[in-house]
Amino acid sequence: MMIEIFDPPMCCPSGMCGPAIDPALLDVNEAILKIKKESDGTVKIERYLLTQQTTKFLQNPEVLELLHTQGTAALPVTAINGKVVKQKVYPTYDELQGYIVQKGNAQ
Amino acid sequence: MSQTQFIFFSGKGGVGKTTMACATAYHYAQAGFRTLIITTDPASNLADVFEAEIGHKITPLNVQNLWAMEIDPDRATEEYRERILAPMRSVLPPEVLKVLEEQFRSPCTTEIASFDRFVDFIAGDGASRNGDHFEVIVFDTAPTGHTLRLLELPVDWSRHIEESAKGGGNTCIGPVASIQENKVKYDEAMRLLADRKSTRFFFVLQPEGTSLWETRRSAQELAHLNISGLELIVNGMLPKEVCVAPFFRRRYEMQQQYLRRIDSLFAEPKRMVFLRDWEIKGFNGVKSIAEELFSKEKGREGLSLRKDGGQNDRNANRLTTDPVFHLLRPESSPKAIFFTGKGGVGKTVVSCATAYVLASQGYKTLLLTTDPAAHIGEVLERPVGDSIQPIADVPNLYAVQIDQETAVEEYKRRILEEARENYDDDMLLAIKEELESPCTEEMAAFEKFLSYTESAEYEAIVFDTAPTGHTLRLLELPFDYKEQVGLMVATTARSARVKTETQKRFDRMIARLKDPQRTVFAFVMYPESTPVVEAHRAFLDLKNAGMTAQFVVANQVLEPGKCTNDYFRSRNRMQDKYLREIRERFQLPVAILPLFETEITGLEMVKRAGRSLYGIDAPKSEIAEKTEVAV
Repeated sequence: MMIEIFDPPMCCPSGMCGPAIDPALLDVNEAILKIKKESDGTVKIERYLLTQQTTKFLQNPEVLELLHTQGTAALPVTAINGKVVKQKVYPTYDELQGYIVQKGNAQ
Repeated sequence: MSQTQFIFFSGKGGVGKTTMACATAYHYAQAGFRTLIITTDPASNLADVFEAEIGHKITPLNVQNLWAMEIDPDRATEEYRERILAPMRSVLPPEVLKVLEEQFRSPCTTEIASFDRFVDFIAGDGASRNGDHFEVIVFDTAPTGHTLRLLELPVDWSRHIEESAKGGGNTCIGPVASIQENKVKYDEAMRLLADRKSTRFFFVLQPEGTSLWETRRSAQELAHLNISGLELIVNGMLPKEVCVAPFFRRRYEMQQQYLRRIDSLFAEPKRMVFLRDWEIKGFNGVKSIAEELFSKEKGREGLSLRKDGGQNDRNANRLTTDPVFHLLRPESSPKAIFFTGKGGVGKTVVSCATAYVLASQGYKTLLLTTDPAAHIGEVLERPVGDSIQPIADVPNLYAVQIDQETAVEEYKRRILEEARENYDDDMLLAIKEELESPCTEEMAAFEKFLSYTESAEYEAIVFDTAPTGHTLRLLELPFDYKEQVGLMVATTARSARVKTETQKRFDRMIARLKDPQRTVFAFVMYPESTPVVEAHRAFLDLKNAGMTAQFVVANQVLEPGKCTNDYFRSRNRMQDKYLREIRERFQLPVAILPLFETEITGLEMVKRAGRSLYGIDAPKSEIAEKTEVAV
């Protein structure tokens, strides 16, 4: 399964190098690292930066639509296997786990 | 010459690098090679030397086989940005495009874009024009500290890219996949730089202490990067026969002493260029220097002194220094004093003298430098390190040199320590990797700079700032970062708090820089064409950013009484013309620092310089005592 996070504009890919580090970015980074470790490669998590991987934002019609209607205020957006599940706020570790369990049950 | 030859010019600013680079380019063009001269200096003066509009494109000059280009960091950023944004313009909503454009204005992007452009000429396709390769490319690089950072980047960046490929797959310059091709380019750039068959480094220096030590330091740093192929140009030599009066005889002897030092320290090939008593401007000037530099018979044949026997108008050029010290005196609040100007025009000496006078007037004073090639310790003849320390024998005076690498280490440590409280090892590793980006350097230096400016511990803080272009970028950082922070999406209450605090801090900083009561900007320059033009350009830039300079320092001014022969009278008249131009252009008080018989090092000389500049002699305490005695 594939989890994608479409990040809001930031200086660096994880946002951890700016003049002031946003604690929310540290939290989400930690959650991702944890999930990656626990899932042992079965869950892929990718993060995209608007300024560097803009094409990813264009390739997902739902995300592009959000950008057209709400602008960057819609970001960050989380998508599971291409489908948007959360916007405006980063998912927590528990939420990410929830998505994985849900998908696991559905399959 | 089938393979392109690269020639880099390095040296402390103001030693005549641009002139030498132009003369070298001219020489090769005349010899029939297709030659391109490029500047990467944000405060370039190529246009002034060639008396031609050049700008951010390869421009043919009025000499066969010669082209020139000035890499403009802003334009380079714009091009870099458009390359990425162009395909998205039709698909994305305007609001998102605006954010993207804004994003590309970050200080990181500017550095990346200039660098990218620079590498294009070394290892990319920039070296060809209409399918024809340039045979010689001359780089008139920025002053030493900055140059070295630029040259060190290829090593840093390819390493950064390599490590990122193993790690998260992202880097500051874009996703790894799209940079792999660039990595090849960066590595190729580094290989060519280290290959002495294709690359030569000309170090330009003046026969004086600071310039000599600076050159030695730079040569060692290049050696660390496995770069050899060095050659020296000693510029500004006084012709022996004109140095008859005792004052100039002493300067001549000082130069000869340094020349012997240079001979014993450097085994590399050396060329010498004599100080002219006329201005080097336009093709004739460049031609004359080229002839002297590359003439087979080493010696003085190329030099022609103009003997016009003119007399000085004694009344017009008496040295009068305008009173400016009242502008510097800290009143109700601490004062930040910035000396700016082209590198090498004597900012360090002026800063030291100013800090000395303030301290001797009883104000607790901090002398600070952000210039990677600083030498305040050498001028004061006292150790100055990367933490604040008192200067021996000068009560109230403290000094510090912001060291880039130390600042980066401190910054990293601080961020990691904060993170350690909340996160596990995996997370720390991720943050650490992110902090390895070259952008961290600029961020870290800025942090350091900010913290000193905020300190209320000193009544006066004197900044011996880095050369013009770099200084302006440094001063612009608060504005850039403020915009960056404004873009930060506050997703949680905690994030919102961090964001507001940072924004407030930058607002305070900007308000302070714009308040003439709390911040004084002063421009230092020689009364010569290029320094005046450059300083004025920077003066306008600063003004546009909302900061108005309050006075000007004219350095190394010849005292008319000391100019007893045609050679020096002619130089004196040249200076006089530019002193008038300084007054006309800036419309500010002008403090004058005369040329001394030797260079200014040691506390006695610094004190003398302070006295000449501000007309202030005795320390405040002594004045008080004298007054008491009189009563």
